[in-house]
Amino acid sequence: MYHFLLTSRYLTSRIIPLLAIAAVALCVALVIVVVSVMTGFLDMIRDSGRTLMGDVMISYPVNGIPWYDDLIEEVEAMPEVVAAAPMVETIGVLRMPYPRGAVKEPKMVQIWGVDPERFAKVTTFADTLMWPEVPEVARYQVSHDQAYGPIIETFDRAQRIAILRASDWTNTEGMSDSQVADMGSALTLPEWYEHMRHLMLNKGRALPDILRDDQRLEMQKVIAMEQAGDLPVDLDVTTEGLTMTRDGRPGIVAGIHVSDANYRDSNGNYQIGGNGHWWLPRYEGALTTIPVDASGGTLEPETELMPFVNEFSSGVFAVDEIRVMIPLDVAQRMMHLDAAEIVDELDPMKVVGEEPARATMILVRGQDDVDPLTLRELVRAAYQRFADGILEDRPGSVRPPIEGINPSLRILTWEEQNAAFIGPVEKERELMRTLFSIVYVVCAALVLAIFWAIVHEKTRDIGILRSIGASRPGIVWIFLLYGLVVGIIGSILGFGLGWLITVNVNGIHDLLAQPPDWLAWTLTAVTGIMVLWTVIKLFSGRILPVMLGIMISGILGLLTALVFILDAQGGVVIWDPAVYYFSEVPNTIDLPSAIITMIGAVIFSLIGAAIPAARAADIDPVKALRYE
Amino acid sequence: MSEQPNTPLLEAIDLRKTYRMGSVDVPVLRGSSMKLLPGEWVAVLGSSGSGKSTLLHLLGGLDTPDRDGGEVLYKGKTISKLARGARNRYRNREVGLVFQFYHLLPELTVLENTLLPGLVGSGVRVDRERARELLSTFGLDHRLTHRPRELSGGERQRVAIARALLNQPEVLLADEPTGNLDEQTGSEILDLLKKEHQAGLSIVMVTHDRAIAEMADRVVVLHHGQVEQDQSFSIQ
Repeated sequence: MYHFLLTSRYLTSRIIPLLAIAAVALCVALVIVVVSVMTGFLDMIRDSGRTLMGDVMISYPVNGIPWYDDLIEEVEAMPEVVAAAPMVETIGVLRMPYPRGAVKEPKMVQIWGVDPERFAKVTTFADTLMWPEVPEVARYQVSHDQAYGPIIETFDRAQRIAILRASDWTNTEGMSDSQVADMGSALTLPEWYEHMRHLMLNKGRALPDILRDDQRLEMQKVIAMEQAGDLPVDLDVTTEGLTMTRDGRPGIVAGIHVSDANYRDSNGNYQIGGNGHWWLPRYEGALTTIPVDASGGTLEPETELMPFVNEFSSGVFAVDEIRVMIPLDVAQRMMHLDAAEIVDELDPMKVVGEEPARATMILVRGQDDVDPLTLRELVRAAYQRFADGILEDRPGSVRPPIEGINPSLRILTWEEQNAAFIGPVEKERELMRTLFSIVYVVCAALVLAIFWAIVHEKTRDIGILRSIGASRPGIVWIFLLYGLVVGIIGSILGFGLGWLITVNVNGIHDLLAQPPDWLAWTLTAVTGIMVLWTVIKLFSGRILPVMLGIMISGILGLLTALVFILDAQGGVVIWDPAVYYFSEVPNTIDLPSAIITMIGAVIFSLIGAAIPAARAADIDPVKALRYE
Repeated sequence: MSEQPNTPLLEAIDLRKTYRMGSVDVPVLRGSSMKLLPGEWVAVLGSSGSGKSTLLHLLGGLDTPDRDGGEVLYKGKTISKLARGARNRYRNREVGLVFQFYHLLPELTVLENTLLPGLVGSGVRVDRERARELLSTFGLDHRLTHRPRELSGGERQRVAIARALLNQPEVLLADEPTGNLDEQTGSEILDLLKKEHQAGLSIVMVTHDRAIAEMADRVVVLHHGQVEQDQSFSIQ
């Protein structure tokens, strides 16, 4: 067919179709990159849900579900379920170790009381632990904590008051002993030995009066070791984090952004404030919650002082900035959801029943090939069996909540549970897709303009073809085919370009955040060469090369200037984790969207080609032949 | 003018054609009639603006006469009344057109240009052998893969004639085929046409050059869109 022959020749012997292809490719690449990043973002939210909470959850907030171990047994009996874990969720206030001094900053937190072992089976908790070991930057402080800490713990109240009164760093004038003691009770262990060290170094004479002999001996031993430079670090933060205990005490695993002393630099790396000083596992945190009784009234607030044992980074900023995890039994105790005996009101010694421990949430993880909605229905059925079973097996005891009676009882997939969070992101993606689809129209307009020029240029050819018997549809076909080929090649190139950009999006982002010196200097060199070339071409007497030279030098010059400005300002962070929930820009191609984009580009190229093609077919052959 | 025993192959009857130039109607053909008998070579002689190219375009089915402006008959059938497809087929198979400015497609090679009517026509065999033969006869063997811009004027016109003859048309319509060539090259082209004519091809050739016109069997002189003279040299 002559259409293919002519189309291929027109394509290969002209520069103009290359422009059309480049235009299509750029449009396609743009849409693919934007949609892929948005989709990746959405997928990350979905994945993070699974890694944070499992697939399906049964929740009954505040009051909690009794006999939850029976429920877990029932749920785990199903082959579709990998594991289930109980959890107590509540909110509370956490007293942070910062700043220095007696007044510490409190922070609102979401508390997850979990059984670490079971929790890790349902989620990827173990993988999210931030510190596999003591970070290098905090080793010095940790070694001191461990050396001085046990000594300071032996100090009695009077000694502590004496230390604070002797220290230059505190103003205790006019304060009563009890006021000084109150002030001291807020201080962290590291602060105590900082006071100690300060006294030792600057007020050596004051110390002997305060310390007991055994304390002094221990102190001298530690000082000798410190001076020899071999204070050991003996802290297994991984095990502590996984078990949520330190030396048999329950511990807190906090989200990485709970501590405001942690921050990310412009390279995206975590930094610990105070050059390691505020590394959270050095400290203890006081967690306060308000339990609620069955009638909805509040009871006395419960406060628990626990060491921070590790931190976790789920990758979801909204989670990492608010959530702390503590052992399940501690949370149950604090919320009064632990097992208790029910005693006779008149005779407190007489046990009349048993109040079982409760969990406000049961997280269920399904097998990989089980659809979350299917799993939800299976779990719902299991819950029904469990509720019926309790009535039979434990007559007269506390009944679990039942769907239809207790509206707060919810059995939802992770996505349903977090619809309010996922929904807007989904909408945002659709909005982006729609907005960027306007790019297609630009693409079609470009193709139209370019094809109009091509048809104009080929008018005589059209006359010739008509004179030897080509039909009008035949002429239309040539240009439609042309549009089709431009669309297809442009789409494929655009896909390649989009793929390259998407896969390397983090690298590009880093490049923008901190442009390397070689980039600035290479750009400077290239700009210089371009300017030189332009100057040389000034003498050629032709305008086009000079014009091109000025334009390219101008663009390169602007780019170079931009890079230098970025360098001077220390780069820009576009993907701020505080704004975008995730620490990394998603970098996987959304294949279905990419294919839709490519098809769209081909269709719009065809539309762009159709009008000039129709015009070409309508050209009067006699006039076309005369056309020069 | 002599009586011919056979019916005309191509016949123009009282053709009128008016072009609009802005707001003015310019009559180009004002009732021109002529006949082409099978195997005949007719030259249409006229100065520029006499309407001779327009006449050729109407004969070739590239254009249609004015409403009520006469008709072109090919083997007794009115060309302008043919369906579009049939008119395309007429241009593709029954007539071959040759132009003063060659009108080759610059992106195609010599061979591809020659093959074009075979590629364009529906139901026509793409006869590469015939194209090669034609080009070989015209002394273009060594030029098959060249582009038109690499060829001399005479060579280009020979390619154009080869293209016109590919589908073995009954009639060759040539519009000033030597108008853009020097005398030597022009006469080579005319010799070539003469050979084809002797092999049985009917030709209508438009020219403003009386010397060239006299190579034909018969000369039709056009003046201001009307046939002034229709004389047969073969009789003289």
